[in-house]
Amino acid sequence: MSNFSITDYLRTRGWRHISIILFFVMVGAVVGGIYVATQRVEYVWRWYRVPQYFYYKDTIETRAEIEGEVASLVAKGDQVEVTVRGDGEEEVYLVPADSLRVDEGDFIYPGDVLGSYQKWKVGILIQGLWLTMAVSVIGVLLGIVIGLFTGLARISSNPALRWSAITYIELIRGSPLLVQIFIWYFVLGTMINAMLAQKGFSQLPPLWFGVTALAVFAGAYVAEIVRAGIQSIHRGQMEAARSLGMTYPRAMRHIILPQAFRRILPPLAGQFISLIKDSSLLGIIAIRELTKATREVVTTSLQPFELWFVCALLYLVLTFSLSMFVQYLERRTAIGG
Amino acid sequence: MHSTLEVKNISKGYHNHMVISDIAFTLHKGEIGCFLGPSGSGKTTLLRTIAGFEEVLSGEIWVGGSRVASRGFSVPPEKRHIGMLFQDYALFPHMTVFENVGFGVRSMKDLQKKTYIMDQLSTVGLEGVARKYPHELSGGQQQRAALARALAPRPRLLLLDEPFSNLDVALRERLSMDVREIIKEQRATALMVTHNQQEAFAMADRIGVISDGSLQQWDDAHAIYHRPANGSVAAFVGEGALLPGTVIDSRRVECGLGILEGSFSSPCPIGCSVDILIRPEDVIHEDDSPFKAMIIHKTFRGPNILYTLSLRNGDSVLALVPSHHQHRIGQEIGIRPQVEDIVLYARGEVCLTEMPDPNERHKFQVHC
Repeated sequence: MSNFSITDYLRTRGWRHISIILFFVMVGAVVGGIYVATQRVEYVWRWYRVPQYFYYKDTIETRAEIEGEVASLVAKGDQVEVTVRGDGEEEVYLVPADSLRVDEGDFIYPGDVLGSYQKWKVGILIQGLWLTMAVSVIGVLLGIVIGLFTGLARISSNPALRWSAITYIELIRGSPLLVQIFIWYFVLGTMINAMLAQKGFSQLPPLWFGVTALAVFAGAYVAEIVRAGIQSIHRGQMEAARSLGMTYPRAMRHIILPQAFRRILPPLAGQFISLIKDSSLLGIIAIRELTKATREVVTTSLQPFELWFVCALLYLVLTFSLSMFVQYLERRTAIGG
Repeated sequence: MHSTLEVKNISKGYHNHMVISDIAFTLHKGEIGCFLGPSGSGKTTLLRTIAGFEEVLSGEIWVGGSRVASRGFSVPPEKRHIGMLFQDYALFPHMTVFENVGFGVRSMKDLQKKTYIMDQLSTVGLEGVARKYPHELSGGQQQRAALARALAPRPRLLLLDEPFSNLDVALRERLSMDVREIIKEQRATALMVTHNQQEAFAMADRIGVISDGSLQQWDDAHAIYHRPANGSVAAFVGEGALLPGTVIDSRRVECGLGILEGSFSSPCPIGCSVDILIRPEDVIHEDDSPFKAMIIHKTFRGPNILYTLSLRNGDSVLALVPSHHQHRIGQEIGIRPQVEDIVLYARGEVCLTEMPDPNERHKFQVHC
């Protein structure tokens, strides 16, 4: 029997165990607290209503397009072929047998329902999620292109390039994204669309301005990331490449950027994750991304508690899987030294 | 002889501070030159200016008969055909040794290039690690890979910036000999900078001593050591002491070691006060010599011991004595000066403000 005492236990592993238990107790308390609070305000949780906004069965009705009489009903397996004969015209419709609503000889007006079938459809939340992903990916890709050139211009010895880069970066970083989205849509968007209209072209949809706003915003941050990445590569690398006969641009492409890429990757991923979250602001210019979609669902379903939690969770899924992917990339591109 | 590098009175600096001023020298084809100087003396700046990474304020640089730099004019580094070996090697970490060495080699067909690069690698003894990445190599291998990379495009001139300072001492000596051999074998012209005189002596055909941004002397190793042009060269190169003395006649001078006779390094009028350079090997230890000096400091060097001795008049000198002659600090020992060529400087000329190396503070006594 060892003389193991409670103080020894506490000093060694005890505190660790207690801390772990404490963590789960706290999580439980927060969740429980929220639940109790919702009970107090008599909120009725209806989680079963949520899945329909992901995926739902839609009833599609087959309607007659002409006026006339149902001339014949011919069974074809599960389906029925309905022939409607009007005044010098005839249409044939195929509807599922169990949904047939007409009989032979019925008189049909255009728009009358002949039958219906059901089809699985993607719900509004998934559509919103998809749009959020699309604008983020396009935004970050454009942002990387803008950021790469701006970052290179930022460290250029040419004052015109350098000052333009600094001006751009400071302007973008110095104002809220929300205001920038407004400017892109209501100011620049109005101007561009008015000019397009004068030339007889069609209008650009809000989505274009929204994505541009995100890309230009991300570009400024990416530029600083690129600059820091390039400057973190030892000066000797550039000098070695140049003394071996490479021009500055070629050395930048073949020596500096490949090395800088590895160091840029983690902050770039952080920027991408921010961009995914920032894209929630696009709802205000009528782009139905995840947040806007959730807001619409909330107004129709009147189940805000469930839906806002689901919305947050969907963002978390996006950002978390992205950071996992980047960790994988980092491991793959990692070479020593 | 055809000169590969000609530096004509170049200066470089920022605002009021000159980093290098009025440096001029010539390096001939196939020679290895070396700039020796303490940290901050401007020697690396000089090298970077020649490579084209810095611009000159005045003067001209000519490489292989064409002007590459003058005031307001600078041929970009990639057009100078100057190879460079960097202190930290600057190997490209994302490329294999083979790719690194092949990087500067253009104008060759694939197969021919491959053979050529493997040839270059075998010259430096790295043919076995061609497919490895730099971080998989030892320090010495990295250094040789960097050397092969710099030499592969057959540059008109190879610059070496403190090439051995990142290696341990044992490796340093062997590699400096290897590097010299490789450079000589390829008939390359090279210019190196270092603060280590052993390296300079081992590598160079010509040595330039640089301090405070100006070139003090440009000469061969023997002359730099035995006939230093001025006190600051004497102070930086080798060990020794400067003893104050007075010229008695055209061949004799009187100092703390008595009267020394020999030919003067520079003529001095009779009666003028001078500083005489006494190297440790100029002071011979003889037990029965009537001339005594007291040991105030000793450094064990393996085969011999370096004693710092205090003379009767209070001046001190260094003496290199075989190490079986063990003496205690405070003891008096007999010495005999053995000086044939007397190196002397008129008084006041020598005033070293900066010690060569803080770790070797004992190695020089300066009188100002």
